[in-house]
Amino acid sequence: MSGRIIWAVIIGMAVVNFAIRFPSIAILSRTELPAWAKRWLSYIPVSAMATLVVGGVIRPDGQWLGPLENPYLWASGVTGLVYWRFRSFLGATIVGVVCFLAFTALLG
Amino acid sequence: MPEERSKQDACPPRARFVRGLKLGLPIFLGYAPIGAAFGIVARGLGFTPLQAAICSGTALAGAGQLIALQLLGAGAGAVAVVFTTAIVNLRYVLFGAAMSQHVTGMSLPRQAFLAFTLTDETFAVNIDDSRRGTADFASMAGVGVIAWTGWVLGSAAGALAAGAIGDPTRFGVQFAMPAMFTALLVAQAEDRTHVLTAVVAALFAIGLMLILPDPWYLIVAPVLAATVATVVSR
Repeated sequence: MSGRIIWAVIIGMAVVNFAIRFPSIAILSRTELPAWAKRWLSYIPVSAMATLVVGGVIRPDGQWLGPLENPYLWASGVTGLVYWRFRSFLGATIVGVVCFLAFTALLG
Repeated sequence: MPEERSKQDACPPRARFVRGLKLGLPIFLGYAPIGAAFGIVARGLGFTPLQAAICSGTALAGAGQLIALQLLGAGAGAVAVVFTTAIVNLRYVLFGAAMSQHVTGMSLPRQAFLAFTLTDETFAVNIDDSRRGTADFASMAGVGVIAWTGWVLGSAAGALAAGAIGDPTRFGVQFAMPAMFTALLVAQAEDRTHVLTAVVAALFAIGLMLILPDPWYLIVAPVLAATVATVVSR
């Protein structure tokens, strides 16, 4: 692959990713939003995380997996339980990855 | 929480920054192997280790970067690749909007720095910390810096040692992101309304994955679920 395409992609991604992230923070933090809009925004984190979990767990790599052939689903369940019980982000992530390897071996 | 606020003010910025680094340490550990996977694939496509590190250090785009490599490998042009990563990361407009309510009164350069380090994970950790009343610029910057470092170091290491590492999936790298998302989801589900909102979002996500082309469900499902939650909880 030519160096020119690689550099074009690197520069393009850098510019675009910042342009996507910055304006909404800068503008909305200086705007007095109505109460309903603030409430709406307060539900975005939990909705976004649920969406990311579903996408990454039920259909990893764009492929739908049934419950009995899905190590992602079971490992995610254990990760959630560990976090809920111990409130340790690091512990839950590590236990999750170890469980994922175990479930992958078990479910083939 | 005036008492908490005064405690926080009494704490020097460096200590708050270090607190952020500690908060973000799990992100570092999760990002480093995924960054390594990016570095390995990038090297295979002709990136030098320096280019892989610069790409990760300037875009910090996670899944967007991995998809960019897939497209480059399939022969797509630079414009198509950049456009697709923009669509994949469009959800950050939404994240930025949610974040904006926790950084009011902060200077533009500080907000720019936090925007630069805004990822799914730094977003969730900082919002969670903000809701407890313990976040400020220094702690948020700490979370961002440690996440950025994990992603960039991982990418560089992966690109440098591509031959020696081999296939990173045998270490369970592909589950690092879903594991972090799961823990962060449970962290956000603080009361019954939020748990129900998560369930609604999950159902929307499944339905939308069936009918919309990727990756639109990532932005449409949270928008719909937050709207339902807002209307119902009125």
